[in-house]
Amino acid sequence: MNTTVKIILRLAGLIVAQVLIVNHIRLGGYVHPYIYMIFIILLPINMPKIPLLLTGFGLGLVIDLFMGTLGLHAATTTLIAFCRPAIIRIISGSQKLDNIYEPTIEHLGFPWFLRYTLCIVILHHFALFLLESFSFRLMGQALLRILLSTPVSIFLILIILYLFKTDKKKND
Amino acid sequence: MYNLIRFIQKHFFIILFLIIEVGCVILLASSLSFHRQVVFNLTNDAVGWVYKIGSDVGDYFRLKQTNKQLAEENARLRERLTYETDTSNKKLHVLDSNCIYRFIPAKVVNNSINQSNNYITINKGRIDGIEKDMGVISTDGIVGIVADVSNHYATIISLLHSYSVTSVRFKDNQHLANLKWKTHNFRYGTVEDIPTHLTLNKGDTVVTSSFSYIFPEDLMVGTIEEVLVSPTGDLNQAKIKFATNFSTLRWVYVIQNTNKKEIDSLTFRLPKL
Repeated sequence: MNTTVKIILRLAGLIVAQVLIVNHIRLGGYVHPYIYMIFIILLPINMPKIPLLLTGFGLGLVIDLFMGTLGLHAATTTLIAFCRPAIIRIISGSQKLDNIYEPTIEHLGFPWFLRYTLCIVILHHFALFLLESFSFRLMGQALLRILLSTPVSIFLILIILYLFKTDKKKND
Repeated sequence: MYNLIRFIQKHFFIILFLIIEVGCVILLASSLSFHRQVVFNLTNDAVGWVYKIGSDVGDYFRLKQTNKQLAEENARLRERLTYETDTSNKKLHVLDSNCIYRFIPAKVVNNSINQSNNYITINKGRIDGIEKDMGVISTDGIVGIVADVSNHYATIISLLHSYSVTSVRFKDNQHLANLKWKTHNFRYGTVEDIPTHLTLNKGDTVVTSSFSYIFPEDLMVGTIEEVLVSPTGDLNQAKIKFATNFSTLRWVYVIQNTNKKEIDSLTFRLPKL
């Protein structure tokens, strides 16, 4: 499949899944998992920084239009797009990534991928829930939300990536 | 000048990042104002369309529950009708002449309850006569106020919103108070500004006051769950349980006040202070 078409389909699928399915997960009112970061996680490793930043902003903006929170998700996704090159650099250390196109479990191994996803999800949840509460008065609640939502988000993200992993192997 | 351009070129990535972040925070901070209006007017139809597809699928799984709710409401209305025609015909006439409210049924296509500011999207819009600032109720109690309208959809500020303030009244003693949402739990709201001399009990009914033209008088809001006595001894608060169950909200009625133009024009004529 053409790479551009694949990326666009992935974007549409993730937004619809987030908005129509994952947003309705209500476990006790404190767990709000988010999965749309998969899009930023899976963007090509050697993607230039500026388009990466703008893509992050665009993704957040679309999610914001659906959720009615103009600016909230856009600010968060811009932040993770901004930090992604640094995260990849720090996690990889001396590991060479030059010949790898997309950061996936098959290419880079599960431990690397788990650390990478963990960093992005934690950063995303911290920024999102703290921005959402918008005041230090509700800090305790925001921290509780971060603590409870992060494991659920990571679990969902890994499951989704696992489900779509087999498809890719067939295509290759 | 050359140095400045070089500096911008060198750090363009960071500068762009900071510009976007500041822009987002400004948008977020003013998210109930002009920007929101403009953007949502443009995108509400498309967003509503996606939500409608999801909601159409979900409907089939809730047919049984929806049927039950409608049957219960029918029974309640029928009961009231027989009661009011039996006891006095006068009462019905009074009801007729006071009937300045029209109810427009609508379906909830999207609803959130676990954000700090929750919005509801319904499948009726400007074409169906919905306008900004109309009240929205469910079969059980009040739900919120219309915030944005596009041609086929409308966005409602749910009671579960940090900006939501509703004038309410205690049914037993007619005292007025304000309802806000501070609990961050979709079942409970907070009633503020209660004079300390009032004795309130758990289970007392809270209804809408007659002070707004958004909601008719005496609509169910909720019941008192717990009275929170102020430590400084000025105004008490009470935690109330909403009559509406926001997590299962499917069908709502939008209330159109047919005298709104008249009321608005009167308010408009008041001298500016």
